[in-house]
Amino acid sequence: MASWTKMFALFSLVLLFFCSSNAQTCVGPTVEATSFTSAEANLAMETTFLVEFTLSCKNAAKDLVLHADIGDRQFPVSRSADGMRYQISWTAEHKQAPAGSYEVRFFDDEGFAALRKAQRSDQDVNAVSSLFTITVHHRGVSQGPWASSPTVAAVAAFAVWLFAYRAKRQIQD
Amino acid sequence: MRILTAFAIFGLVCLAGSADDNVARLLAAKHVQNQYLVEGRDLTVTYSIYNVGTSAALNVQLTDEGFPESDFKVKHGMPTVNWARIAPGTNVTHSIVLTPLKSGKFNFTAAELSYVPSEGAQPQIGYTSGPGEGGIMPERDYDRKFSPHILDWAAFAVMTLPSIGIPLMLWYSSNRKYRISSKAKKH
Repeated sequence: MASWTKMFALFSLVLLFFCSSNAQTCVGPTVEATSFTSAEANLAMETTFLVEFTLSCKNAAKDLVLHADIGDRQFPVSRSADGMRYQISWTAEHKQAPAGSYEVRFFDDEGFAALRKAQRSDQDVNAVSSLFTITVHHRGVSQGPWASSPTVAAVAAFAVWLFAYRAKRQIQD
Repeated sequence: MRILTAFAIFGLVCLAGSADDNVARLLAAKHVQNQYLVEGRDLTVTYSIYNVGTSAALNVQLTDEGFPESDFKVKHGMPTVNWARIAPGTNVTHSIVLTPLKSGKFNFTAAELSYVPSEGAQPQIGYTSGPGEGGIMPERDYDRKFSPHILDWAAFAVMTLPSIGIPLMLWYSSNRKYRISSKAKKH
């Protein structure tokens, strides 16, 4: 039974290889991207990263099958119904998504197969050249103001009282 | 008896074997990320699609028509997308960011998912989970609860200025006179 499943897996892998070699590849990509990252912790329980982009290729390839790599995870890129726009999104815990720049590398089928091969054989994944890269700047998720305004007001009121008390003590002495 | 049990085991194994046919099975969940749903602020919806089958799901289309244009504005993301294939044993997340245009109760319904379970098969239609009913609070209520109210505190400070400022001025003017007269005494 186990050998059958292995055979099936091998067969589908071979089939995938043949299917992917028939897929179009993009030559000379130009990317226009907009990105969104969660800004307020109240409005999002996990930090969401969202990148939408349009891709134009010199060989006018459309409706491409793309894969995204964010370093520790890889997933397929979704396309709009008309094949003009692409989108990827992922979520992470607030603590695991600090402010900073996140690089997303995009691969076509061949590049992605090369990336997976490099991962499996523990080779340097950065050596695999991507089709293009999009950088997402995340400002960080704000958990609210650092000191709440009633606290600030209370501290200010205490400071005024302390000044008056000291002055009164000075006069009375 | 032994032959019967042997046949039963053989039958079960055959069934298990046939369940191992190369078919993709997608499970999808729709989840609203917000703790508070506020009119005019970001509302993040995340769809998670898991392929628990043994074969890749082809031509996966996710369509969410549960956000009418009169009630929501799509700020980022596309509610209708497709993936060429989702590999077996993997999952994909898709998010969209909306802005609610009205406050009140809203029923978040399930989105539709269609995919081809194996090469040449008929498209299969399924639904994501539905988050259910949620209340979208008006922006004023959210601000009252969470904004830093800096303007209100500034107004409060201005209002307390007379009751603190007038005694302060009196003290300061008499203090100056006292210091001047004490200095004059010393000399």
